[in-house]
Amino acid sequence: MENLLATSPETRSQPAAGLGATPVLRLTNIEKVYQTKTIETVALNQVNLTINRGEFVSVMGPSGCGKSTLLSLMGLLDEPTSGTIEVDGRAVQSYSDRELAGLRNLKIGFVFQSYHLINDLSVVDNVEVPLLYRKSMGGRECRQRALAALDKVGLSARTGHFPSQLSGGQRQRVAIARALAGGPEIILADEPTGNLDSVMGEEIMDLLLGLNRQDGVTIVMVTHDEQQALKTQRVVRFFDGSQVG
Amino acid sequence: MLRHLFTLIWNRKRANLLLISEVFFSFVVLFGVGAVLITVGKNYFTPHGFNYEDVWRLEVRAGQGLKMPRAELDDVVRQVKALPGVRTVALTSGNLPFIFNTNNSAFAYKGKKSPPTNYYDADDHYLEATQLHLREGRWFTQTDDGSNHRPVVITQDLREILFGDEPALGKIFTFSEPGPNIKPEDEFQVMGVVDNVNMESDFSAPIPAMWKRLIPYDTTHWETASMLVRVAPGEGGVLQEKIARTVAGVTRQWTTEVRVVNDDRLHRRMFTLVPVVGLCIMGLFLIINVALGLFGVLWYNISQRRAEIGLRRAMGATGAGIGWQFLGEMMVVTTFGVVLGAVLAAQFPLLNAFDLPAEPYLLAIGAAALAVYLITALCAWQPSRLAAGIQPAVALREE
Repeated sequence: MENLLATSPETRSQPAAGLGATPVLRLTNIEKVYQTKTIETVALNQVNLTINRGEFVSVMGPSGCGKSTLLSLMGLLDEPTSGTIEVDGRAVQSYSDRELAGLRNLKIGFVFQSYHLINDLSVVDNVEVPLLYRKSMGGRECRQRALAALDKVGLSARTGHFPSQLSGGQRQRVAIARALAGGPEIILADEPTGNLDSVMGEEIMDLLLGLNRQDGVTIVMVTHDEQQALKTQRVVRFFDGSQVG
Repeated sequence: MLRHLFTLIWNRKRANLLLISEVFFSFVVLFGVGAVLITVGKNYFTPHGFNYEDVWRLEVRAGQGLKMPRAELDDVVRQVKALPGVRTVALTSGNLPFIFNTNNSAFAYKGKKSPPTNYYDADDHYLEATQLHLREGRWFTQTDDGSNHRPVVITQDLREILFGDEPALGKIFTFSEPGPNIKPEDEFQVMGVVDNVNMESDFSAPIPAMWKRLIPYDTTHWETASMLVRVAPGEGGVLQEKIARTVAGVTRQWTTEVRVVNDDRLHRRMFTLVPVVGLCIMGLFLIINVALGLFGVLWYNISQRRAEIGLRRAMGATGAGIGWQFLGEMMVVTTFGVVLGAVLAAQFPLLNAFDLPAEPYLLAIGAAALAVYLITALCAWQPSRLAAGIQPAVALREE
């Protein structure tokens, strides 16, 4: 498992994006406005962003600048007020709830700051959750894929444990295994090390870097940590809902 | 997904214990009410086995300590029978149909013992008055006057209990505990068999019954003579007055009461209906309470599980899928409660509780299970719709 987490200095600064790179996610003129009776809040303002296949992109900015909103839109969990989101070159604004759910299930894995594990399910049952929504997949295959994903994050020995019996770092590994189990093209990570101490944060970061470099998983990560952001291939900066870098 | 739901419910068994208990108790209450309703409903639709329409109850009282000579009683019967509009008059014992007066005992034949059996005295005109349906043999006639044993007519259910497949006519049986000195009139000889009868109330089950031939050689110890009077359709108060006047014409010392048997039936019906309706109302209030409780608990559960809902949406669940999941979870919880309740309810037919057949119990188990699933589905429906409508981005941001 240490091999999986290992990264080399040569690949660390190697950009995946470039001429001929395939866009896997494209956001065009995205605007997101939250409206109440009295206040109108512009969370994102004319954002144009392309994520290419195999990229590891960091999204940075102060609290409230729209990073998490951006991730929700990329994850098809929310709709933009205006603008277009394309996944694999296809605009998704006309997709039904069922089609969007299918797309999320097949192509996108999520990792959250607070893990979002289901406390009443064992580790392996938690990892199986995204696979339950694939009607074509039988119970045995679900279990095999969940165990393989746990093996990949180094938690083979903890499959029967419950989240409350794990450390923060282990919980985040379970969350990453859950994101990996469905074999997604993109992982969207919202401050995955935000709740962890620096050692555990490094472990999780190394794990994500390994997945990107060895398995070619596209990763978009929201972070406040400049050091971790520098390990990724590209840093996108936001301020007050606008992309500033 | 079903395995996942069972795993989730099982792992949350402590949290779900309250819900399972509510479902269990609802099931038990519904089973109890259902068993009562099915039993009385089934009895209601079972034929009475005799025709109570256009039959009146005539009771003549000589008064306490006064004698009722046979000659005067014969006069009363003859004169009432002669009234225009009266079809027949039958002398019988005081346990008339639909009134709170019963005579019962157990009877035996060659070691076979009957359950408590209603027995009546009846004269030769009783069949015509009640229109009991003869299946075998005949009713009493004057030819029975010389009989060595007491001629009786029994119902089909008593016949099956005492004689099984053997022929019943001519057979002689006794009280199950006849005592040391058996008199000839306590040895009963079967003259006929009639359909099963229910003379208790509309909601009672047929009870095995036997009619002994009434031979009023000496009526001087009688204080009351009970009669069933079959009248022509449409007869009413005028004829009732004529009957009272006729009795008074024979002797002014006797008092008379004439009642329509159908009125007795309706009166008796109320005595069964009132507690049954009360039971239903109590059950209904209990179920409403349980339903409101379920609704509240489910609503609370969903508000506690918003992050999980957001997560499942992110993992690929549709809004409708979330709604179905919550509905499915409730159905699994219901299944736990129903299975526990059914195990308890199954003891009733197994132990032959209240001497009822298994059928109403089994039907009540089915009906209670169906009702509980329906109630929980209805209670879970709105909270599940609420869960389905939760925006995943909002739910995930809350924690």
